Amino acid sequence: MRVLVCGVGYRFLRDSAVGLWLTDTLAPQASNGIEFEDLGYHPVGFTQNLDERPDYDRIVFVGAVERGRDPGTVTAYRYDHVLPDVQEIQDRVGDSVTGSISLDNLVIVSEAFKALPDDVWIVEIEPADETWGEGFSPEVEAKLPEITETVWSLTKL
Amino acid sequence: MCFKNLPIEFDAAGNATLKDGVANPYSYTETPAPTPIEDDPERMRELFARNGAVRRVDFDPVTRVAGALAFHTVVDLENRQVMETASMATLFRGYEIILKGRDPRDAINISSRACGVCGGVHATASALAVEMAFGIHPPPLGIVARNLLLSTEYLYDHPIHLSLLAGPDFSEPAVRETNPEIWERATSTRTQGREEHGYEFMSELMTDLTPLTGKLYLEGLYYTRLAREAYVLIGGKYPHPHTVVPGGVATTIDASDLNEIMLRVVKYFDYGRKTAAIWDDLAAFFYEVNPKYKEIGTRPKSMLEPGQWDDPYAYDATYENADIWARRRWAPPGVVVDGELVTTSVKMLNAGVEEFVEHAFYEEWTEGDQPRFPTDPSGNPLSPWHPWNKETIPKPTATSWKEKYSWSTAPRWDRMAMETGAYARIWAAAQTGGADFRDSPFINSTGHSLQITLPKASMPNKPIEWMIPETWGAFERNRGRAYSILYTAAIAYDNLLIAYDLIRKGGPDAKMSTPYKVPKDHRLGVGLWSAGRGYLTHHLEMDNGVIENYQILTPSTWMASPKDPFGNPGPYEEAVMATPLLENYEKPEDFKGIDVLRAIRSFDPCMPCTTHLHMDDRTITREIISCACGSDGPHEH
Repeated sequence: MRVLVCGVGYRFLRDSAVGLWLTDTLAPQASNGIEFEDLGYHPVGFTQNLDERPDYDRIVFVGAVERGRDPGTVTAYRYDHVLPDVQEIQDRVGDSVTGSISLDNLVIVSEAFKALPDDVWIVEIEPADETWGEGFSPEVEAKLPEITETVWSLTKL
Repeated sequence: MCFKNLPIEFDAAGNATLKDGVANPYSYTETPAPTPIEDDPERMRELFARNGAVRRVDFDPVTRVAGALAFHTVVDLENRQVMETASMATLFRGYEIILKGRDPRDAINISSRACGVCGGVHATASALAVEMAFGIHPPPLGIVARNLLLSTEYLYDHPIHLSLLAGPDFSEPAVRETNPEIWERATSTRTQGREEHGYEFMSELMTDLTPLTGKLYLEGLYYTRLAREAYVLIGGKYPHPHTVVPGGVATTIDASDLNEIMLRVVKYFDYGRKTAAIWDDLAAFFYEVNPKYKEIGTRPKSMLEPGQWDDPYAYDATYENADIWARRRWAPPGVVVDGELVTTSVKMLNAGVEEFVEHAFYEEWTEGDQPRFPTDPSGNPLSPWHPWNKETIPKPTATSWKEKYSWSTAPRWDRMAMETGAYARIWAAAQTGGADFRDSPFINSTGHSLQITLPKASMPNKPIEWMIPETWGAFERNRGRAYSILYTAAIAYDNLLIAYDLIRKGGPDAKMSTPYKVPKDHRLGVGLWSAGRGYLTHHLEMDNGVIENYQILTPSTWMASPKDPFGNPGPYEEAVMATPLLENYEKPEDFKGIDVLRAIRSFDPCMPCTTHLHMDDRTITREIISCACGSDGPHEH
């Protein structure tokens, strides 16, 4: 079985880097078909990379996404593969190729280019602080063990 | 004499000095910015009373993430004019502060993270700055390998912009929606470049620019992939390469690697020719339909490029010899003011740069009259606002279009707003007439054009020629970028041939990198390089083995800049202000802003500025992804 865990976000923007922190932290434990990847790059490149590799049975995306929840909230859900309209997909492609990195863009563009397997999970963390600098907000810092456990459990099929 | 505004003069030997007898030579008096329309309620009321079609239209970032751009306009939809513009970088990245106190070599990997698309050029600009400070330079094959990395990065960047970002604005769905009469005309207009691109009618070409499904869109996607495949053969990874180090490239290459790269590069010979013909046809068609399309995104023909692709036998990484090795680059340094090349001296290009913060969320850093570095390492005068003298002091305040409104500084050369990009690169190369320029059997500079001749691929190998345009605007930027694909492929091919030769001969020239020690004394360095999108410099000051000061100046900082203290707008602001609104709309609520978007996108912005458009209280927002409340519900632990 092959599982890919993708950390999405920007380094040095505090909570925005939580996905990258997670893949950095768990990468040394990669084995038995579990891979970790720093996805601090754009989805067009990601879809092309996936096309070069053997299929994954599951992909897990993890990153900070602001959706108005309480800061530090961890939400994990299975992706339903429903795409927005063509205009929005193109908007997100355009957004991505101008250098922007975001979990929403990554999932939508990868799905639109038919790069994802059926089994995709998303782990979101509600950020409290995405200003420049290193380290996390206290809210996200307190949830790091939960985030790690959530992601680690999703590597087990 | 290349400076009109800075207090610099030249002696008979051509040495630059400050003008005699000027007490505070770089001082200036700030010109207050005009009061924004919406900050003047009386004027606003008067305008609305007179003309109900005056609207505030903001082109906001698509996402909240870093590097984002918001673009504010006030438009008069009745008279089809843009009345006010403000370009706003919405987030502070803080790299300059994060890098302080670190090992200079860390800057290569950390600065590469500044962008999700073109991180490789940041890594290389950083390596150049570090090796100048360290006093080392790569062996010839290391320089050629770096040139190949840059070439493949551009061969990735140009198609991604033209096909995935700019192209859709000229596609069938966009034109049908915003100017149906133009679409109608396209169905009966024959193309001029059928031999190169295969399209009989303009409408067929525009249909294939359609996002996600159009053949040209998908073909562009394929060519981005091809270039990335070539890049990783040397870089290991893209866009954040693993092998870029001070003094060369930390990997080995052999003839079989070069063969793999060559197989991919030659495919751009035909693709480059085809893309040039497509953008020639788009410009010709729209200009024919309405000559005012020449004014979309127009501004003065003032641009700059630091030059790139080093000569493997000339580059020594010293500042002292910078004018010699930089003029031996395949793309020479160049500053173009109002259409004329005013210098190819990279030292004068560097000496002319200043960054101002009157309208940016930073604090002024100059204290007293004397800057920390009154001259560069060769004795040329430097402004207190030069990057080597700059200190990044963030000072967030409320946004005010009259006062401070952006996280971008206002970079200026000789106190003028400049743009930069692939077209600036070929413009400077064309105007040198071959004088300050590395010889290439595949590129000929005539003084008014650039001729490119490559071996035959599938299509006939007749030369193609990019002419310096008479008018300047969005269509010419896109056309210049399209021709730059073949120009870049020619340089990649030239470097591949040199690489084969170096590997065949072996010996010290065929090494990829050079050993070094981190110096502990005080040093300066600068990486003068470019992204596909244009100008990129990294200025470094180090002492005791760590970074004292690090300043990154990117193409989008130049072009998305706010107004400067002299009252001049930044290039985006200036270009949109001059853009006529040629879109076909009957009611204000039908306005899509396509001409404004065409103008901004022609700069190849390295920040999101795509869709999230809101007009007055009518806001079009993006929904979160459809799966946010996923079918399986929250995961339990």
